[in-house]
Amino acid sequence: MARRVLLSIAAALPAAFSTVLAQASNPGNPAAAPRVDYALTNVRIVTAPGKVIERGTVLTRDGRIAAVGANVTIPAGVVRLDLSGHSVYAGLIDAATSIGLPSPTRALPAAATADAAPAGRGGPGGGGGAPQDGRGAVLGRSVAPPPPVVLPELDADAEASDMFAPTDDELKAFRAGGVTTVGLVFNGGLFPGRVGAALTGAQSGERLALRSGVGQIVSFGTKRGGYPGTGIGAVAFIRQAFLDAQYEARTEKAFKAGTPGARPSNDPFRRSLMSAATNGVSSWFVASTERQITRVAEIASELELKNPVVVGSQEGWRSIPALKRTGATALVSLRWPSPDSVTGRAYLAVGSGKPGVAPTVTAADSTEVRGNAAALVKAGIPVALASFGGESGVSFRDRIRATIAAGMNADDALRATTVTPAALLGITSAVGTIEVGKLANLVVVSGNDLFAANTPLKHVFVDGRIY
Amino acid sequence: MRFRIRLFIALLCVPGVLAAQDLAIRNATLITVANGDMQGNIVVRGGKITAVGANVAIPAGIKVIDGTGKFVMPGIIDAHSHAALENGINEGAESVTPEVIVQLKNDDPVIYRALAGGVTAALLLHGSANTIGGQARVIKMRWGAPVDSMYFKGAFRIVKFALGENVTRASSTAPEDQRRFPMSRMGVEFTVNYWFQKAKEYDQNWKDYRASVKANPGAIMPRRDLRLEALADILHGDLKVHSHSYRGDEILMLIRVAEENGFKVHTFQHVLEGYKVADEIAKHGAMASTFADMWAYKAEAWDAIPYNMALMSARGVVVSVNSDSDERIRRLYQEAGVGVRYGNMSVNEALKMVTLNPAKQLGVDKMVGTLETGKDGDLAVFSAHPFAPEAMVVYTIVDGKVLFDRTEANTLRKQAATQTSGGTR
Repeated sequence: MARRVLLSIAAALPAAFSTVLAQASNPGNPAAAPRVDYALTNVRIVTAPGKVIERGTVLTRDGRIAAVGANVTIPAGVVRLDLSGHSVYAGLIDAATSIGLPSPTRALPAAATADAAPAGRGGPGGGGGAPQDGRGAVLGRSVAPPPPVVLPELDADAEASDMFAPTDDELKAFRAGGVTTVGLVFNGGLFPGRVGAALTGAQSGERLALRSGVGQIVSFGTKRGGYPGTGIGAVAFIRQAFLDAQYEARTEKAFKAGTPGARPSNDPFRRSLMSAATNGVSSWFVASTERQITRVAEIASELELKNPVVVGSQEGWRSIPALKRTGATALVSLRWPSPDSVTGRAYLAVGSGKPGVAPTVTAADSTEVRGNAAALVKAGIPVALASFGGESGVSFRDRIRATIAAGMNADDALRATTVTPAALLGITSAVGTIEVGKLANLVVVSGNDLFAANTPLKHVFVDGRIY
Repeated sequence: MRFRIRLFIALLCVPGVLAAQDLAIRNATLITVANGDMQGNIVVRGGKITAVGANVAIPAGIKVIDGTGKFVMPGIIDAHSHAALENGINEGAESVTPEVIVQLKNDDPVIYRALAGGVTAALLLHGSANTIGGQARVIKMRWGAPVDSMYFKGAFRIVKFALGENVTRASSTAPEDQRRFPMSRMGVEFTVNYWFQKAKEYDQNWKDYRASVKANPGAIMPRRDLRLEALADILHGDLKVHSHSYRGDEILMLIRVAEENGFKVHTFQHVLEGYKVADEIAKHGAMASTFADMWAYKAEAWDAIPYNMALMSARGVVVSVNSDSDERIRRLYQEAGVGVRYGNMSVNEALKMVTLNPAKQLGVDKMVGTLETGKDGDLAVFSAHPFAPEAMVVYTIVDGKVLFDRTEANTLRKQAATQTSGGTR
């Protein structure tokens, strides 16, 4: 975590991006294995959602896409992969994960696989996971695990991309789900830090970070042994923190303008939130339930926070007016809540005489929960899909398939796992489509549907390396 | 689930929950609270009472409930509850937290249970751990509505204060050096004085700014402090103080401190020794919301008596009786009846303690609390007079919608009993 952020400005231009890429490997570490250039031939190419080249070639050079098209001249010295009967897609982006990150309630390292992460009843925002142990046993490692890093609840300057330290198995699990890029979001605390983006390749000593400072994470957590000690206090605390940061920005401006009496406080916490409080970066609220999303809408409206990102959004379909009102992007967790824990379930149980005991969950109930993302897209709300809340990448493709089965258009699903999250994370120039100059982040699947059942991934490329 | 909800609505539609907010009850005993009892009809249109009386015409085409043998009273109002709250009742990390607002859990089954007791509105208060606690929510029991649709529009903004043992943590077993200030009643008095001193300075800063900005548009707007802003709102009368209290001496202390600092205690909550200082409470202009009978359940409740309600009322204090409990909230009408037995309150005065009087304390008496034309269609329909031992709530109606129907509740209960509990995932 000592290494500082590689990229703190928008990688909006290819020129800027090339700078990023040049720094992407750490020169202080042993030289990574030399990259091999590939020609993926005779392959169906889905360059972007809805854009297909039925038979063509994707050429990679130095880890980036050098050519795409039906007729590409293949230079000498390139490894040819004849992929007849296969399709190649841009590598998927898991818009938010906290795997590989510390949290206020969970020390790093996390358990060996995120599948073991317990599901708090309140959803991703509802309490986080319990401490996990047994990592060494699970991985069969004899070495003692490193000392835990517990995230402070208030460290608004902390960069998730600096702290991303996944295990090899965790990276493998992401890739097995077709995920080549992840958005990094701390789960828990109040202002635990900032959103980052990283690659899921694993070359020893190589830095995975792709971008930092993407957004300010806000969570309705509590402070250990202090104020706020409750979720009700958290809302007041968050409102006051934003107000203070806005005040800091105002007084700083007045100070610079020479206004008599104007003195910024130079309080580090206030300064760390200034950008988010003045819409320099977006605020990413961890919120899953209907009431949490309503609270986000209230806070965003009061503090004039534009286009907040709602991370989790598990009950998004119940909160469409609140999401629309605030111009929010719903970052939809593919960890579905149990249908009998969904807000309003108690309305069905009123006559049971046993609070909380609702009638048996039906297939329709499950479809409603799984159809969350589809309902939000239909309502015109920008949607990105994410594993946030405890699922590992390994089930990512399965969950997308089920989301499609519950009513989401397949192109919309692809958009929600490529183009939309790339834009949200500010990494459009590097990933998200198959275009010349972007990173060779690719997934190759047999047949012509990335999300079809029983279609194993043939290859996953991250940064031009084949897995 | 959409199908299930439809099914559920279809079931509830037997009395017509989502039907238009038009409804009439025919030939019932109407306990108006405002204008005595009478046999007659009551008509609700567009959620408001449009007619009530002996010879009131019932418009054609609206839903009619036969009230023969039944008693209709204004929906019951609970002036002190912590039901259906989530994410904490006490922000106890500090002793002064008026910036905090409680959070309603709109799908908590306790709301339905309250409806089963004829309750149609409640004041959901912050707990009593803090000298100056958080802000409350006044809600209507609109079971099934989104969270922000349940807030009672037009109600007072209310903040909780607390005195005595809960604040000083008298029963805490933690070592003294780990306990939070204040730890004595002296400390509580100091805390109130100290924070209102700060609030007055804060308020003055804003007043100075507003005065100066006219002449000097470049003047720097002061920092907004949500805590001091809430205290300043109390000074301005925009945020009403409801103070947890038991003993006469602490009640007198808060009245004195309030008057010295220039604010008013709007309502004393619990106020078990209110009968000892009723004249002082009335003189200050405060109201009182108490328990029917909570003798000696803790040291500072030693002098609690069931005559408290009647004695305070006789001295001109507006008194309500509250639940402070997810269980008692179902039988507040019986709690009110205690005032008739202990203290000889008139039946109507006793009924006011769960209708008009709490409505005054919540700032909603223009809208609810009596059966009068123009008020909200919030009604409790009983099988007998609410003070009769055998009385049960048959229907509870909010804004003209039947949200509780005993026949249907029994049906749903039987259905649920035949299904497996929990369900599959």
